[in-house]
Amino acid sequence: MKNKILMIVMIPLVLCALFACANTQSRPMVHPEKVTGIPNCTECHTDSWGAMNHRTPDFFQKHGIFASNARSACASCHQESFCADCHAHKEEIKPSDKYKDSPERMLPHRGDYMTQHKIDGRINPASCLKCHGRQNNERCVTCHK
Amino acid sequence: MISHHEKRSGCKKGSLLSTAWLVLAAASPLLAQPATAAEYSISGESNTFLRMKSTIDDRNIYPLYEYLRLSVAVAEKDGSATSLQLGAWGRLDLGDKWTQDRADGDLQYGYLSYHGAKNNLLLNAGRQFVTEGVATERIDGISVRSDLAAGFAASAFLGSPVVSEPNFEGGDVIYGGRVSQGKQGLYSVGLSALRSEGDDDRDREEQGIDIWVHPLKQVDITGRSSYNSLTSGWMEHAYTVSVTPMDQLNLSADFSRVNYNDYFYNVTTSALSLTNGILLPNEEQTALGLRASYSPVKNLTLAADYKNFDYSVAGDADYFGGGASYALPGSLTTGFGLHRMDGASDRLQYTEYRLYALKQLGKLDLAADFFNVNYDQRVNDVKNSFALTGSAGYRFNEKLKVWGDLEYSQSPDFDHEMRGLVRVAYAFDTTYSDGRGKSEK
Repeated sequence: MKNKILMIVMIPLVLCALFACANTQSRPMVHPEKVTGIPNCTECHTDSWGAMNHRTPDFFQKHGIFASNARSACASCHQESFCADCHAHKEEIKPSDKYKDSPERMLPHRGDYMTQHKIDGRINPASCLKCHGRQNNERCVTCHK
Repeated sequence: MISHHEKRSGCKKGSLLSTAWLVLAAASPLLAQPATAAEYSISGESNTFLRMKSTIDDRNIYPLYEYLRLSVAVAEKDGSATSLQLGAWGRLDLGDKWTQDRADGDLQYGYLSYHGAKNNLLLNAGRQFVTEGVATERIDGISVRSDLAAGFAASAFLGSPVVSEPNFEGGDVIYGGRVSQGKQGLYSVGLSALRSEGDDDRDREEQGIDIWVHPLKQVDITGRSSYNSLTSGWMEHAYTVSVTPMDQLNLSADFSRVNYNDYFYNVTTSALSLTNGILLPNEEQTALGLRASYSPVKNLTLAADYKNFDYSVAGDADYFGGGASYALPGSLTTGFGLHRMDGASDRLQYTEYRLYALKQLGKLDLAADFFNVNYDQRVNDVKNSFALTGSAGYRFNEKLKVWGDLEYSQSPDFDHEMRGLVRVAYAFDTTYSDGRGKSEK
């Protein structure tokens, strides 16, 4: 019991001390330069921010790691609704239908996805899980009883 | 008599209302904030969609959607800020009913947020999307994250999981966090964990390690391994190495391995459950991918990619192809792609084509998009599945845009399907007076 109380007291104290010692300036909430279109971050950034270059073919695959490490950097350009377009709790319009004015974006489920989902679900079902495993799957029950 | 499912839905609606009230109550001091702050801003956007289509049983449906996002922020002179973020949508069926309910909607997110001036401190309370290592979750609850000394950073979250439960329940409480250590611009290593609990049971218990290493300007390595301690097995390993030997050339290789038994554990839909007879519980998928992109001139990008899927039970498959894109911001964006899927089964033998263009003529935007899948073996007696979309939009000013599109498609499931959509987007009170607003894109 004594150990538990000690931990409950010590952990916040240690965290507060680490917080106080860090004393770094937070990232700006809004990107200092206006960015239009799909950005090539390397045009300005020569450090690791350049790795977030949205035009590289593997950006889509890596964006989850960036969101874990530097969510505030994402938020400096993107509204929260940007994430919710795909990572939705409940959604009825496919992202590729919602933004047909941006055909250059890598929006999932283009064209007839009724047929294609059976193929993608066989090839790489793990890719479905992040958006449909526990959310946004109410309509699956129409066929998947 | 109320069914179990109806009971659950009622509970969710109650929870939704509670969350909304909680967020609004917590936000009331913010809304009543006197004008002593450095900057006070209200911004938002309304997107209204009218969809027009026919169902498989020839009913004409015209669902009208309103998507609304709202952000109220008070920024202090020291760089800290408090904000309220809200995003929600509602739908009303103007023609025949599309689903069981003529009207429906959802609170996508709604939270009060405090952004500290120091150490990237962030405190959120309400419905929010959490991305912390193994956790990619929407929760009704609280979260906190901050940088600490010596390159450490920590985050934690606690709440109720916001899940949809068509077949299985998804837990009542979820909590977890992530601790990372790194050096800005060089590396970051994170350890994360989450636990979700339902009626007397643990629904999920996952731990993970993630890395982001940037040893040289030209090399970037990211990856993640996640472990399911309820099944005592690795769910996933996924790693990507990117090399940029010169500004115009990007090379990338990725490796992933997924164990179905551990990965698809306690999902809420039978579509991705190991009990559905479609996914094989003992399957292990290993994928290896290679990609290259090259920009011989500014705005033009050529790309090629290859991916091999290897399964311990089912037959293998290769997916490969390439494409080109040309983007002249504010004028023309166009591209094409050609990919081949070559797998062990008939379903996994097809060729995929895509061609798109977006042209801006003053305030008028025109777009065309063609997507075609050509199956080696006919599916429902159809060889070609395609969708052709033509779109036009007009930007009245910075705030108001009207967009319409018409899509004609033919597929194994729908013969000669025509669908239409009209979208009216209105952004209001964007307060960054020097034009620095956030992007929806």
